[in-house]
Amino acid sequence: MLRLLPNSRILSKAIPPVNISYKARECASKAAETVEVFVDDKPVQVQPGSTVLQACAQAGVEIPRFCYHERLSIAGNCRMCLVEVERSPKPVASCAMPVMKGMKIKTDSPITKKAREGVMEFLLVNHPLDCPICDQGGECDLQDQSMNFGSDKSRFTDNQFLGKRAVEDKDIGPLVKTIMTRCIQCTRCVRFANEIAGVSDLGTTGRGNDLQIGTYVEKMFKSELSGNVIDICPVGALTSKPYAFVARPWELRRVDSIDTMDAVGSNIVVCTRGGDIMRILPRIHEGINEEWLADKSRFSYDGLKRQRLTSPMIKDESGNLISVDWETALLRVCDAITSVKGAEIAAIAGGQVDAEALIAMKDLLNKLGSESLNTEEIFPMDGSGTDLRSNYLLNSSIEGIEESDAILLIGCNPRYEAPLLNARIRKAFIHNEIEVGYLGPKIDLSYNYQHLGDTTTSLENIKSSQFYKEHLSKAKKPMIILGSSALQRADGTAVFAKTQQISNELKEAGSSWRVLNVLQRVASQVAALDIGYRPGVENVRNNKPKVLFLLHADNETVRREDLGKDCVVIYQGSHGDQGALMADIVLPGAAYTEKEGTYVNTEGRAQRTLVAVNPPGLARNDWRITRALSEMIGQPLSYDNTNEIRDRLAEMSPNLVKFDTVEEANYFKQSEELFKDIKEKIKQDSFSLPMIQLKDYFMTDPITRASPTMAQCVKANNKEA
Amino acid sequence: MPLKLYGLARNVNISDKDPDMDWKSITDRAATRMFFKELFKGYGITGSYLFREPATINYPFEKGPLSPRFRGEHALRRYPSGEERCIACKLCEAICPAQAITIEAETREDGSRRTTRYDIDMTKCIFCGFCQEACPVDAIVEGPNFEYSTETHEELLYNKEKLLQNGDKWEAEIAGNLKADYLYR
Amino acid sequence: MSKYLEKLRNCRLAIKQNGGIIGAYLQLFRTDELKYGNHIGTDKYGNKYYENKSYFVARSRWIDYAPKYGYDFDGSQVPADWHRWLHYMTDDPPTKVKPCPDREWMTDHEENLSGTTGQYVPYSTVTPKIHSWNPPKNN
Repeated sequence: MLRLLPNSRILSKAIPPVNISYKARECASKAAETVEVFVDDKPVQVQPGSTVLQACAQAGVEIPRFCYHERLSIAGNCRMCLVEVERSPKPVASCAMPVMKGMKIKTDSPITKKAREGVMEFLLVNHPLDCPICDQGGECDLQDQSMNFGSDKSRFTDNQFLGKRAVEDKDIGPLVKTIMTRCIQCTRCVRFANEIAGVSDLGTTGRGNDLQIGTYVEKMFKSELSGNVIDICPVGALTSKPYAFVARPWELRRVDSIDTMDAVGSNIVVCTRGGDIMRILPRIHEGINEEWLADKSRFSYDGLKRQRLTSPMIKDESGNLISVDWETALLRVCDAITSVKGAEIAAIAGGQVDAEALIAMKDLLNKLGSESLNTEEIFPMDGSGTDLRSNYLLNSSIEGIEESDAILLIGCNPRYEAPLLNARIRKAFIHNEIEVGYLGPKIDLSYNYQHLGDTTTSLENIKSSQFYKEHLSKAKKPMIILGSSALQRADGTAVFAKTQQISNELKEAGSSWRVLNVLQRVASQVAALDIGYRPGVENVRNNKPKVLFLLHADNETVRREDLGKDCVVIYQGSHGDQGALMADIVLPGAAYTEKEGTYVNTEGRAQRTLVAVNPPGLARNDWRITRALSEMIGQPLSYDNTNEIRDRLAEMSPNLVKFDTVEEANYFKQSEELFKDIKEKIKQDSFSLPMIQLKDYFMTDPITRASPTMAQCVKANNKEA
Repeated sequence: MPLKLYGLARNVNISDKDPDMDWKSITDRAATRMFFKELFKGYGITGSYLFREPATINYPFEKGPLSPRFRGEHALRRYPSGEERCIACKLCEAICPAQAITIEAETREDGSRRTTRYDIDMTKCIFCGFCQEACPVDAIVEGPNFEYSTETHEELLYNKEKLLQNGDKWEAEIAGNLKADYLYR
Repeated sequence: MSKYLEKLRNCRLAIKQNGGIIGAYLQLFRTDELKYGNHIGTDKYGNKYYENKSYFVARSRWIDYAPKYGYDFDGSQVPADWHRWLHYMTDDPPTKVKPCPDREWMTDHEENLSGTTGQYVPYSTVTPKIHSWNPPKNN
């Protein structure tokens, strides 16, 4: 489909949208007839409205391009995609030319080749020959295409010794490095910023040879998706600052993995060299992150090399943590456990624990006779609580956002809690012209929304709002996204019950569309609830356990003051952060890039990380630590390897091992019935959000808190503000 | 008989000829054998070489000719200003068929691209010279030195400092050779 | 006959150049050879360089290691600029044509020190990749 975007939606937030192109889209999709075109004399049937480039792609011919990108609007300014079309006086830009019936496209004719060669030559006239120091070297479109389509010699002679064009570099923040002399003005970054990221920071000034990409005035490129401009830049004009000069693409080992910085579960590729993480790139998954990645996920990898726990530690007589070997540390844990009753042991799981570690800990504590397994993140347990899976999932899935026609956001800031989910909403907002309503403090979501108030009163009176009457109730596929931060409130149960009630009223009878969605904030929450952890740490606070396991729990939900004096705190995790500070015994665990772990994202999609690098020093995979501990206590767990623990996971909840599938969860009616008994009332106050501005986004967990890059981001944002 | 008929057979006597059996020949042979004439002839040839010019060279005082393109011990060069040339493009590492080169790089304080590690395992190196061919800035070169044999293996695991030191030591000759040869490259 | 006379003359010149009968004897003991030729130059370490084109190439240039080395002379004691001439890469000795201008960062020549205390010992030029957490101390 030729993508012509309604510009009003991209650029202006003030002008009310016009619903014309939406109808036009409807019509276009109804016309299912195809057009026959000939690509190099090979007949192809293509959708009317497709471009010549798409038709060629369908015929299996790849046209070289710089400015064209499938997920961005068409600019047509690089001219690299010129092809010869029969009975056309000049070569045409295939990315912008719609197909016509019987068109004869020649992608390999002398005219096409000459056109490409000419364009290439013009591009290279002003492109510096600094490939040896360019970070794009080895994965550069310009390099590849000049090898494939360029001329073998240059006619460029600098007769007057004026030099090639040189452009001053811009400082657009600590993440993206600009070398503007290398820019070929494809404007992909400008279109990305305006269309996908929704910040109009980048733009062009000047014309022709003097065209420059920039921010007009010197300022930061303030976006949570800014790293993606590095990927889409076809040359080395925009490169990654933390990755600057450190590695070459051909020497990197790529390991597929899953991101755990938020609950979206973006698919990533961890690039390593010699046991050292060099960078993290997105991996295409149309259902989750398309081909984008949020900045925190992309740039926080240097936090995996700082503040690491590399050996077990125990407290000596003076109360200082000292490094010991595994045996000593585990024996100390054994002593602590065996000297107390089973019920006096408790565990708190943090936000980045894999399902394997969760289940090992649960099995161990259950064997010892304890049921006190908790997560840091709170979820209301009254009513149906976490018994019904549909209560805590993003039921209509991330991809479902594109089908939806009205979205109501309650008490969440998807822009920073789940940047890629927010990018989906923005995509739906631009292409499908959906309406978005929002309940919570006023924030910038990168698209227009109808603000329905920031207090809980507005939630109770939602039905009287204009948005509900005009959009939500009329929508065929409405979505309500309830933020996990709204559920952290004391009256979380009531908020949840109310939201559920609204959702069920909106649900059309007989339709399989699911209205209620909960947006989780941390990567491990869904798996923990699936396995049977109890959300929230109230339990620990009230029961005062004698032995407390902190499994990657660093958010200070329980402080030392909340526990009894004689409580032994055992921290098992990857970083020396809040958890390790209050611990008596520290067991070094592995971070998400260092273990084969299962993570379930907010949709309920189980995904698997792979080992990219080995855990540093004496650190070990988390579930293996628990397994070793169980052996020492004399109550060995029944699994010895990854397959066996996965079998145990399947026993517990089969969806945990069905990788990359979203399990249906459809018990809304039953759930509502259970919630009817709840007498709790919603308290009258305003929704609060932990992340309001971009600077709040960067440091949220032990990895990002240890990352120097993230610290720089915060610093730069503070300076800018 | 039939072979001869077709003209294919020809009898050739390949054994030694019978010695002459006249009296003079017999006494000559007897004298040669009795007085070990051949042995002394051999001594004579050996002795004559004492007085001839030797065909070998007297290393380490005399040294054999080398080409300006000789590929010996590696060195990292500097610009005349003293700035190291290597820009950490890693082309040498990529082309090295023996994978003897290991490079790690980062941004230096002044923002330029430099190596932090430039290791060559000289025991892996096959001295093909691809690294100096690949180098866009003439930083890594194979110098003219071949007298760097060591007593232990580890001494041949060169690091960046050692290579730069080699460059500083041999620059006079390396620069001279490159200058002499640049037209033919 | 003249052939043998020339040999005698060479012998006389070689003995004369090497410092008389005793000098020649010591030289012969040190280098196993007596030669005579033009003294082309002396480097800054005291090594002397000779050339006599009547010998064939590879024997026509030679070095007389500086007396300070004694019997510890070694092939690696030839400095870079003379190395080039000694190996016949050029016909111009560095006293006549300098191979390249002197730079202040160029270092003195150093012989191969393997097996001595001055030998090269490899070490890592990079900082450790993983930074461990150091727990704060109470007192």
